[in-house]
Amino acid sequence: MSVPGAPTAKEKKYDRQLRLWGAGGQEALETAHILLINATAAGSETLKNLVLPGIGRFTIIDNAVVTDEDLGTNFFLDDSSIGLSRAQKTCELLCELNPEVQGSFVNDTIENILKSNPEKLKEYTTVIATGDIPTATLLSLDAALYPLSTPLFVVKCVGFTMSCRVALSEHPIVETHPASTVDLRLFNPFPELIALVDEKAGLMDDKEKMTTHEHGHLPYVLILLQALKEWKSTHDNAPPSNYSQKNEFKSLLRSKMWNADEENFEEAIAAVLPHFNPPSIPGDTRAVFQDKKCDELSKESSHFWIIAQAIKQFSEKNDGLLPLPGALPDMKAESKDYIRLQNIYKAKARADLAAVVQIVSDLLTELGVRADKIPESEVETFCKHAGYIKLIRGRSLNDEYEKSPKAQIISSDLSDPTSLIHYYLGLRAYEAYISDEKNTRRIAPGAEDSTVDADTEKLKKHVTELLDKLSITYSPELLEGTEKAIGEIVRAGGGELHNISSLTGGIVAQEIIKVITRQYIPMNNTVVFDGISSRTQVYQF
Amino acid sequence: MATTTVLTTESPDRWKYLNNILTRRGPYSDETFEPGDEPKAFLADLKILVIGAGGLGCEILKNLALSGFKDIHVIDMDTIDISNLNRQFLFREADVGKSKAEVAAAFVMKRVRGVKITPFNCAIQDKDDEYYKQFKIVVCGLDSVEARRWINATLVNLVGEETLIPLIDGGTEGFKGQARVILPTISCCYECTLDMLTPRAAVPLCTLASIPRQPAHCIEWASVIQWPKEKGDLKIDMDDPEHVTWLYTKALARAKEFNIPGVTYAMTQGVIKNIIPAIASTNAIVAASCCNEALKIATTASPYLDNYMMYTGDESVYTYTFQHEKKEDCPVCGNLPQDLTVDPESTLEQLMEKLQEKPETTLKKPSLRTSSKSLYLQAPKQLEEQTRPNLEKKLNELMEEGDELSISDPGMPFNLRFIISFSS
Repeated sequence: MSVPGAPTAKEKKYDRQLRLWGAGGQEALETAHILLINATAAGSETLKNLVLPGIGRFTIIDNAVVTDEDLGTNFFLDDSSIGLSRAQKTCELLCELNPEVQGSFVNDTIENILKSNPEKLKEYTTVIATGDIPTATLLSLDAALYPLSTPLFVVKCVGFTMSCRVALSEHPIVETHPASTVDLRLFNPFPELIALVDEKAGLMDDKEKMTTHEHGHLPYVLILLQALKEWKSTHDNAPPSNYSQKNEFKSLLRSKMWNADEENFEEAIAAVLPHFNPPSIPGDTRAVFQDKKCDELSKESSHFWIIAQAIKQFSEKNDGLLPLPGALPDMKAESKDYIRLQNIYKAKARADLAAVVQIVSDLLTELGVRADKIPESEVETFCKHAGYIKLIRGRSLNDEYEKSPKAQIISSDLSDPTSLIHYYLGLRAYEAYISDEKNTRRIAPGAEDSTVDADTEKLKKHVTELLDKLSITYSPELLEGTEKAIGEIVRAGGGELHNISSLTGGIVAQEIIKVITRQYIPMNNTVVFDGISSRTQVYQF
Repeated sequence: MATTTVLTTESPDRWKYLNNILTRRGPYSDETFEPGDEPKAFLADLKILVIGAGGLGCEILKNLALSGFKDIHVIDMDTIDISNLNRQFLFREADVGKSKAEVAAAFVMKRVRGVKITPFNCAIQDKDDEYYKQFKIVVCGLDSVEARRWINATLVNLVGEETLIPLIDGGTEGFKGQARVILPTISCCYECTLDMLTPRAAVPLCTLASIPRQPAHCIEWASVIQWPKEKGDLKIDMDDPEHVTWLYTKALARAKEFNIPGVTYAMTQGVIKNIIPAIASTNAIVAASCCNEALKIATTASPYLDNYMMYTGDESVYTYTFQHEKKEDCPVCGNLPQDLTVDPESTLEQLMEKLQEKPETTLKKPSLRTSSKSLYLQAPKQLEEQTRPNLEKKLNELMEEGDELSISDPGMPFNLRFIISFSS
């Protein structure tokens, strides 16, 4: 096919996802190398959801051999796999899903790799830890990965319960995909826009000078700006500021209609509440501007911080305004008038971008770096999203467990029997049970019918030990919810239910995609799901 | 087609983890739950129907097979397309063009020993009540509102002394999705919640015809106005690259004429096919939630969802789980007619156009009656011709305030009922 613009074979295959994260997101996925520790059902399902959209590579580390139990929960194994390497067999069946993805496996334990070859961890861009891994191993893994800024996902999946904990270090996001980036600059129009209002809408009350057709096709932005001029002249030069003034302004607009079915005026009236807001820099953007890293640039500063500093300077020079994104919503208008208005907004956005690009290149020169080191396209994306950026500073697992635990989050939820904090505590107790030095074979609580009662008591003890360690006071009634959660966890006997593993794989893969593409906003830092009530809760431990 | 193979005895360890849940009572288990071998046997004998073998359907079949269901039917009339491969993981490039239901069923039967999956490469409307009656649960992974309304109404109509088939329905869009459990006539049904869908933002024809401003306006002009003009009765095939290319070229030329930037091939496809972004991970979440509910309902091992879970993943992780209210005036599961305010000066044709704007009153071939007369009937031809002049008439000539207006459609097994009031 020789039609210019027709999709390539790859664009056809990935069409439904490219509409979400575009070519930039796809490229980021294709250069990722994901490590999965233990080919559990949840781990394999996570990889499935990453292999399908085309991550670059994955590696599975696992020293288990395939058992019959694995076949009851893991779709990426079959009868012929029994007794063979679980890492190898899942790797093979996962690779079938997408010929463009490279899979490899290592028949070993993560403990051995941490001990003998920790350098190997540098090969991976994201690490997923699943299955029964003792606390000490998780903490050493976290200690190795966090300084590398390699995100670590710790995934637990027992019976109807799952949790996922991500240790992200600094994670700035520019493309957060807000519902709209429209800024009409109604309260601070720029000269080109003012000139167009005068030219097109200056006579909108004059039935002699304007035809009914013209009046009914005035773009609503121009109607609003013209009516604002009139309003300001009788209100100390101030725009409508509160709800009742905005309603008054709407009545003013209504009085300017020449007949009842002028859609453009209806559009203008509908735009008053959403678009009549004084300009301000949103909190997330302000937090970035106020961050130490924004002001203390160095050669090592990432592009994000350099562009953020440039936009901060731009804003200081422009009455606190951010660069104009330049988007214009559709509105009733003649084609040529709409396109002209659109071009005015776009031209202003381009001018703002040029100003920011200049500041960026000055900053780079000051830092002694090539002035064109940051591509203009990257600055442009940032300028379009300047009011919607987000900076996540996560916490390491060592922060949560050892250095600065957040006891407050637990204690405040403890008395609510419907809170999912009880499942969090139950899973922490499960981890403690697995980590017990005497439990060398890492047998799960409730693995045998005969141990259910004793194991239930052991998990309760692990919870109270954790609460004591965190200096959380509690009464026995407070632990009612926790006891039930423990009951569910022990009931499962350390086993995965395929549905919950599959759901876990979906949640974890979504989060990994958001982190790798640096698009949309990832969860920070713990999500718990309960498959009985079908609810999730997110905690920032 | 795969044939049923003689099963060798399964190792008792295979289902050990599932059995833990079925042989042990949990703190939240219903009183009626009797742990032991019974729920297992029940699962194995229970007939379950999966509607759709696409993004959700592939996941659902895998999940049910690994949840102990052994007798599964699947219906899908679609064939495999290249753009399915980024998420419909039971299909490979070599399968493009084959029946989704058949390929999916064969794959899961090969991978999971002991499960029987019976595929049907047909429309759900091709099957009758007797067919649907044999199932204990229906799980739906569809992208069509129309098909969902049909199966929902069919299952509500089947409710009787012996029959109540729960409908578990999933849907996704991008990073978002929902799973829900419908107990026909007991909890809120699909039709009860149609007003949750966003109404279609229809672009006025005059915008397309004379004042386009957006790339989408140029694309719609090409498909709605220019195609019938130049191609006559030939129907557009959205999957035929020649047709899409034709529309793209026309749209591009029109955009150039009006200086409108942004028409692309991908956008052309997106607009004419109304493409909804879809990814493997979201399908996994929603399908798994649906199958988790199927397992809980089938075994009573734990309480099931009552009745709606929304999942949002584009900003952190957020779920909203709630009980959606049943609507007393639901045309499918309620008893009361809805209120409808109309302009007495408008024509019957205008009323019919207005009804198409809202999802809950959108029908393909609606026929309208009041209790005393037929206003407009789509078939048979003779009656259509007889009632056609009514389309031009004003509503106040055809009905009075307080009249009951009934709208039927050959594609829907129920009528919409309205009590009319006038207001200009």
